[in-house]
Amino acid sequence: MQCIMKNRKFKVGNGLFYRIIFIVSLGALTSWTWAFPEFQAYSERHSGRPVNCGLCHVNPDGPSGNGPGQLGRLTPEEMQRVNQSRGAREPGQAIDNPILNPFGDHIIQTIGSQKLFDLRRDPAGLATALGSQSDLDGDGISDAREYLDGTDPLNPAHGAPGRMLAVNLRRHAAEVLFGLLAFGLVLAGLTGVIRRMIARDELEHGSDEGSA
Amino acid sequence: MSRPSLMQSIGDFFTDRFPTTKLNWNDLVVKKTVPEHRMSWAYYLGGLALFFFVVQVITGLLLLLYYEPTVSDAHASVQYLTDYVPNGALIRNMHAWSASFMIFFVLCHFLTTMAMKAFARPREITWLAGVIMLFTVFTFGFTGYLLPWSQISVNATKVVLQSIEQVGQYLPAALAGLPTTIRYAIQGEPGIGQATLSRFFAIHVLVLPLALALVLGVHLLSIQLHGMSQGVDRTTGRSMRFFPTYLMKDLRAWTVALLALYLVALTVPFDSFLPFTLLQPFNSLGSTPLGIKPEWYFYPVYYPMELLPFWVVMLGMGALTVGLLLVPWLFRGARRRTLAALSGLAALYLVVIILFGHQIYVLVKGG
Repeated sequence: MQCIMKNRKFKVGNGLFYRIIFIVSLGALTSWTWAFPEFQAYSERHSGRPVNCGLCHVNPDGPSGNGPGQLGRLTPEEMQRVNQSRGAREPGQAIDNPILNPFGDHIIQTIGSQKLFDLRRDPAGLATALGSQSDLDGDGISDAREYLDGTDPLNPAHGAPGRMLAVNLRRHAAEVLFGLLAFGLVLAGLTGVIRRMIARDELEHGSDEGSA
Repeated sequence: MSRPSLMQSIGDFFTDRFPTTKLNWNDLVVKKTVPEHRMSWAYYLGGLALFFFVVQVITGLLLLLYYEPTVSDAHASVQYLTDYVPNGALIRNMHAWSASFMIFFVLCHFLTTMAMKAFARPREITWLAGVIMLFTVFTFGFTGYLLPWSQISVNATKVVLQSIEQVGQYLPAALAGLPTTIRYAIQGEPGIGQATLSRFFAIHVLVLPLALALVLGVHLLSIQLHGMSQGVDRTTGRSMRFFPTYLMKDLRAWTVALLALYLVALTVPFDSFLPFTLLQPFNSLGSTPLGIKPEWYFYPVYYPMELLPFWVVMLGMGALTVGLLLVPWLFRGARRRTLAALSGLAALYLVVIILFGHQIYVLVKGG
């Protein structure tokens, strides 16, 4: 009896152990499959700016965990969308992955999950693979460029300052020109008034006016 | 000194600083002149700081129409304002850029005033009001930083409030608890939360503007009563009328400033200088992102705090504050050349620490 009990206890314990191993492995596998720190690290290295998982993921801390946009909080329907996204090995498939933000979805849609997986060894190639046409936030800087610059491809008010200046000068050329013209006219008017005032003062009081 | 003579001295001091006989249109405006010499450009710096303060008030009032001072909605309201409100991004950018320009010109004004010995009798009150305004604009920057409720704003505020508490360990036992009490009084609750945001919002939009307006009134009145200081040792003997010639020139400088502000705000979003990880909404459960730093104008205090023992910086700050308030008496007999050298050194320190503070930090701490 003692022996049977011991044996059963062992079996129960063994089952729990394997179950834990299985869950931990599954968690590690899913986070490994869906978090690609190589791209984040490359973007950070290339730009010199801190970059986090929020570049491609809904949650800035990445897909693992129980927070919003993380695997632990997904409903069965959302998990199904994650699996559909996983299956999109080739480009061109519509993606709506609940753990990825629109830039993350766009990457899978543009290059497919297989190529993304392969590019982990050459993260610089992601920019080339994305091309220079796509600009999700419409700020005038391509998503690929924003990836290289370590800036937010989904925030129109965020980009490398020098590039934002160049893009916005072109985009707001009319406002800039009219602004310069308007302010130039005001300045010219003010300068004329000041000159006349100084000339009048000199006439009224002589050149030594105000020296007392 | 007997009591009546002390009162008499105090009375004389204020009569000298605020001569009521000059409180008339003729003395304040018509007769007032501005000296012309090689440092005349410095007379425009204070006016430019004032101009950017006016821009702050106007753009701040416009932002108030959309901003929600609650931890749940603050970030979203700022995002909405930036993305969907017509010209919202421009107004927000103008507010952010003009804050930096205002502090830049306040610092320049402070340094040139020191170099030109414009604090000398009877302008001590003008100087004191100026120093109080210098600290007030820094407080403006500090309180305004929290309002967007982003990762950087909350975490940077946390760092500053923690440093206040740290002061306690260097105080005598009877006063050791005071900094903690001050921290909780500012925070309004054990951590940074809704109470903190509400307090910072009230201080930023109501208390500080009223306080600044009051001190600014004293500052401007004092300037009008005593006129611009001579500024240099060798005068040229030339001067211009304050009204209307100098005022028109001031207006011209303001026009150039407004054009520069408009162009910068239109083309370069202020947020683009920060990593996007710091602009995300504050998440109390998430990890603290890297690169939490205060605004550039706090670097002269921030980097020494990172590099030197805390007590050294605290002692230095305390001495500097008292020293600044006592400048008119400490440097009463100082020559302008000495003061110019001191101001030059201070300017050099500010430029180096603001532009290269990070590199110095990496060099010393090894990244």
